[in-house]
Amino acid sequence: MTGPPGSPRDDDPGPAGWSVGRVRAPAFWRNVRVLQVLGQVVFVLVLLWLLRGLYENLRSSVGRIGLDLSFDFLQTRAGIPIKEGISYDPNQSYLRAYLVGLVNTLRVAGVGIVLATTLGLIAGVARLSPNWLIRRTAQVYVEVFRNTPVLVQIVFWYFAVILALPVIGGGSLGGVAFLSNRGTAIPWPRGEPGAGVWALLVLAGIPLAGLAHRWRTRVNERIGEPTRPLAWAAGAFLAVAIAGFVLTGSPVRFDVPELVGRRYEGGFQLSGEFTAVLLGLVVYTAAFIAEIVRGSILAVEKGQKEAAMALGLHPAQQLRLVVLPQAMRIAIPPINSQFLNLTKNSSLAVAVGYPELGSISSTIINQAGRATQVTLLVMLTYLTISLAISVCMNLLNRSVAYRGVRR
Amino acid sequence: MIGPPEGSPRVVLAGGDERAVAIAPAAVPLTPAESLRQNLFSSWWNGALTIGAGLLVGYLGQALLRWALVTADWDVVAANLRLFMIGRFPVAEAWRIWAATYLIAVLAGASWAASGARLRWTPSLIALRAIAAAATLAFLLFLLDGLRIWVLLVGLGAAVGLGVAIGRAGARRLVRPLLIGWAASFPVVIVLLVGFGGVPPQRWGGLVLNLLVAVVGIFASFPVGILLALGRRSALPAIQLASVGLIEFVRGAPLYIWLLFGEFVLPFMLPAGLDLPRIVRAMIVVTLFSSAYVAEIVRGGLQGVHHGQYEAGRALGLSTTRLMGLVVLPQALRNTIPALIGHFISLFKDTSLLAVIGFIDALRIARISPQGVFQGDLKQTLLFAALLFWIVAFSMSRWSQRLERRLGVGER
Repeated sequence: MTGPPGSPRDDDPGPAGWSVGRVRAPAFWRNVRVLQVLGQVVFVLVLLWLLRGLYENLRSSVGRIGLDLSFDFLQTRAGIPIKEGISYDPNQSYLRAYLVGLVNTLRVAGVGIVLATTLGLIAGVARLSPNWLIRRTAQVYVEVFRNTPVLVQIVFWYFAVILALPVIGGGSLGGVAFLSNRGTAIPWPRGEPGAGVWALLVLAGIPLAGLAHRWRTRVNERIGEPTRPLAWAAGAFLAVAIAGFVLTGSPVRFDVPELVGRRYEGGFQLSGEFTAVLLGLVVYTAAFIAEIVRGSILAVEKGQKEAAMALGLHPAQQLRLVVLPQAMRIAIPPINSQFLNLTKNSSLAVAVGYPELGSISSTIINQAGRATQVTLLVMLTYLTISLAISVCMNLLNRSVAYRGVRR
Repeated sequence: MIGPPEGSPRVVLAGGDERAVAIAPAAVPLTPAESLRQNLFSSWWNGALTIGAGLLVGYLGQALLRWALVTADWDVVAANLRLFMIGRFPVAEAWRIWAATYLIAVLAGASWAASGARLRWTPSLIALRAIAAAATLAFLLFLLDGLRIWVLLVGLGAAVGLGVAIGRAGARRLVRPLLIGWAASFPVVIVLLVGFGGVPPQRWGGLVLNLLVAVVGIFASFPVGILLALGRRSALPAIQLASVGLIEFVRGAPLYIWLLFGEFVLPFMLPAGLDLPRIVRAMIVVTLFSSAYVAEIVRGGLQGVHHGQYEAGRALGLSTTRLMGLVVLPQALRNTIPALIGHFISLFKDTSLLAVIGFIDALRIARISPQGVFQGDLKQTLLFAALLFWIVAFSMSRWSQRLERRLGVGER
């Protein structure tokens, strides 16, 4: 940071007070390069000494209460009851319990990210709608939910809304879906023999749709009249999907949940805890994403929209083809940090007892007492998840960035 | 340049040099019917949207209003109001909180007036303020009980008024004293609460606890955050690596996990014999957590300072410390003020996590107050807690937006 080492100094008087032409290397205690290296060595030594002090304190205090700092306890029997997630029984190890928590975190964060992006995009575009009522509704939504703690929202959804639903057996929606204070059950498609073949056919429909799109675009370039490439692509895809469905003998049917005794069977079941956490995270994060979307759309230069208008695109086309692709470049980095926030905020599920990483960790700490190891492990786990999300978003960012511009 | 279109109104200019000047068409005020059509029914699709959304919003709105004004019994909130605000803070010592509030009120009024801001009184604004004032008054009339609190509230209004009068009289001359006053207000408030046989942090509670933990977090994390930001931009690899490592590690985990760390691990790491109260450990953790975020905000501000500024400072022969302190940081920090307020808002909202690890904050009060005759009134108490958080967060975010416009961030 300071000037180049070995440069002539004003305070280096030569004979009769004139600077000498010959540059003499400064003494080593005045040599900036030496000082920088020395300073860093001292810094590292002090840091190590401090960390060692903390570690020694930790080891002796933990030893005093009869515990250790090894990770062996993870292999011992957990004995914690966990209500939902991948298969688990209390006789399995702490490590298994921790994995259940990890999967539950990923589940709520993954679904939450998809739903929050969708809702945020809708609300952000609605914030800019020419329709006064839509615009104001979106604004009220954003201002109310953005400025209330997400924990208060999760607690509200769980204790004031979900626990106030009818007890199990009541709350039927036309006999096909059930809302209750113990969870929600909705109809869900279920595959029968032949579903795999149909799924393959549907997958094959995607490149076919791409071909149709390219062909109609070519025709459009040749004849210069509208040829509706998107409609053709959708048509091709649907044709394959429907024909395949009929040919494979309708392999998918909707499985309707039924009340059997004190629980539901069939369909898709959401626990009340999961629903509350998901609702809280999605509604809160979407309000922030809406503001990012709005800001990014406003940040696209006005001339772009005017040019699109001058080309005769209608409003939806202006948004889809010209404004949104450019707004995305601006929006991706802040949206990435919202995704990270959502994932980290999922640890607030501890307040309603959804068994994800945060709440499983605090249970393990309470039961096994190995707070140091558990905290370190869970911190590193969250760090890894955050890094993974950031890497994905950076890849996405690279694919939408201006060609030739590196960020 | 292309000349104005034919037939533009001709304006006689002062020099007698007659020239055609294009005058932009003035916005003609729309009649109510026209504005209704333009804003709500400009096309059949827009009209359908309006009707659909109108039905939905109308239905939800009336259901909500009917529940809030008719069905719900709000006595539980009025009965627990003191708990919501100050928790188990001893009533005999409550004057300390009032004194601190008065101090902040005078400072805020003076700062507002000294900045040259004035209320504008257009008819629509008058109507809006009248409605807001009436609603607030009705709300307070229902909530508050007893002459004492009304006198104290009127006094609070008077304190703001006093501040405004001081600010008007001093105007721009007060800017520096006020800055010093704000910086000093934090230690003064803490001494006012704790000092001279006051109330230790273990007994703080309610919304006051949320506010104080957030304020302590911000003030204490500010210097640490600046150091970390400078470290992250340092040319010395050891310092840079350590700063980046700490910042990313702290930001990688959720605050809840850090609070667990403060609760269960930190006491073991401290030297034997140093027993910190739980709330102080929570404050340390909040500060650590916050400084990583402050560091990133300050780093953004530092990156916004043009490198010509560094070079100019160097050319003047400033040492690194003085270059940073006199040239770079003042410009960097000015640009980060709105982001820092935003961070303060989110830190304040995050203090609701104190409820999860067993402190008696506003959210915790909301969870435990519906007891006895109020059994089952959880909706009301949770909504009231949400309202308390919302009022603080919303007004601060509005203030930050105004400040951003006034500072002209991103315009220089």
